[in-house]
Amino acid sequence: MNTPLLFTRAALCAALAFGPAPLLAQAYDPMRPAGNPLTPAMPGPDAGAPAVELDPELGNLPVGPGAEDTYYQCIACHSTAIIRQQRLTDARWDYLWTWMVEDQGMYEPDEETKEVILTYLKTHFSSER
Amino acid sequence: MADKASENDVNTTDTISEPGRRAFLTTTGLTAVGAYAGMSIPFGDNLKALAQGMSESDIMAGKEGLILMNDRPLNAETPAHLLDDDVTPYEHFFVRNNGMVPDTALDMDAEGWTLTIDGEVDTPLELSLADLKEKFEVITQRLVLECGGNGRAFFTPGASGNQWTTGAVGCADWTGVRLSDVLNAAGIKDSAVYTAHYSNDPHLSGDPEKEAISRGAPIEKALAEGSMIAWEMNGAPIPAVHGFPLRVIIPGYPGSASQKFLTRIWIRDQEHDGAKMTGYSYRLPAYPVAPGTEVPEEDMVVMTEMPVKSLITHPQSGTQTPSGEATEVRGHAWAGSGDIDAVDVSIDFGATWTPAKLEPAKNKFAWQRFRADVTLPEAGYYEVWARATDKNGVAQPPVVPGWNPRGYGNNMQHRIAMIAT
Repeated sequence: MNTPLLFTRAALCAALAFGPAPLLAQAYDPMRPAGNPLTPAMPGPDAGAPAVELDPELGNLPVGPGAEDTYYQCIACHSTAIIRQQRLTDARWDYLWTWMVEDQGMYEPDEETKEVILTYLKTHFSSER
Repeated sequence: MADKASENDVNTTDTISEPGRRAFLTTTGLTAVGAYAGMSIPFGDNLKALAQGMSESDIMAGKEGLILMNDRPLNAETPAHLLDDDVTPYEHFFVRNNGMVPDTALDMDAEGWTLTIDGEVDTPLELSLADLKEKFEVITQRLVLECGGNGRAFFTPGASGNQWTTGAVGCADWTGVRLSDVLNAAGIKDSAVYTAHYSNDPHLSGDPEKEAISRGAPIEKALAEGSMIAWEMNGAPIPAVHGFPLRVIIPGYPGSASQKFLTRIWIRDQEHDGAKMTGYSYRLPAYPVAPGTEVPEEDMVVMTEMPVKSLITHPQSGTQTPSGEATEVRGHAWAGSGDIDAVDVSIDFGATWTPAKLEPAKNKFAWQRFRADVTLPEAGYYEVWARATDKNGVAQPPVVPGWNPRGYGNNMQHRIAMIAT
């Protein structure tokens, strides 16, 4: 139940349904998005970043400081699926926060909580680190 | 069918249990679609106690093989090989919602539905569905709808939003009336500049004062060939997730211009500034920027015409084929500018190109079928690339074009792997 999960596209976005599996070679996917955490881990030396432990209690957000605050802040409006797809610059995360408060009616928590959440997002869903 | 397949197979993807999610089911509208997203929650347990009368899993039950990007709001894309039909059937049509699916759509209840046309018009109109069907010529057009962010996943650094790869596109037969006929019946004033579209889909926050989305189009585009108000998709009432009972379609523009659940078209004397018209939403930098640039908001301009594009829909990427024998490769090509001039394919990473056979469009803004026989000379790994060129001589680039903060308009050439045996 609390088995650590690999951060794979399967965990994020399972296919809605599965037809009969076509006979496909385990081919390289030429349309594999670069650096996208949704991408299935490639076998071999190109397996990518170390696996991140996900918290099933918190919508499969990566385990870490701020995960709980982030979960409860965000799911008021949307699921964690959209968070888990992102890999943004710090500046974009700051902008998105303001956009969600000013345009989308997000409840703004105290400054300390805001910092915890933004730090968490910038740590786990970043194009900078 | 999708239900069954999911029940049987979803747990093979992984086995996530999400008790926290259950606790929120009654209060947040999080629903059984979680089962599709790889959760081990027994499917039947979640069909009740939902914020809306119907669960997203019910809504998505008729969708087959789509990749779920987000369960609230609902967003799902279609793998390329499931887009092979000339007319995309409902089960393979991508889903992009900005807000919640309204109850009227979930219940398929169009009782008393009206469409208001007002603003810069001589005579404001309030039209029932019967009015639309009786007062105007009814037409059916085959039109591509594509999310402006299709291909976003390939931008580096990343752009915020759903990480669509290639499948936020579909081409259906839409039945309804010309938007120009309806607007001209109201009488468009010289002061008209832009349309503003409104609908009844609830904002994600639940705030009834907020619009989930309200976009529009320049009045010239709204009055041009192709733009329409539709109530049928592929010969049936438009399904809930696609905008029941009425949607506007602005073909060749980002899909978000084609408002679902349409209740009002306000003709404005300025560019519309509704939800997701401003800021960075569906906007591009006014000038070329380096990847990762923080572009000031005032330098962002509304995205209009979608770029020329093609998709290889057969065979599926990774398919094995005998070397030295011809294999048919086929797909579709389309462009926001209208018809396609040519599609070429390459089996040598773009070093040489061969013209594909291109079928004419059924009507403007329908996608066009291309076919090419490729012969892979010897055993090994090949890629097949496709490149469409529009009537202006503009072709798809081999790499991700102009980075922009929200990742719109990526029309790089589609590539599949083929293994010669």
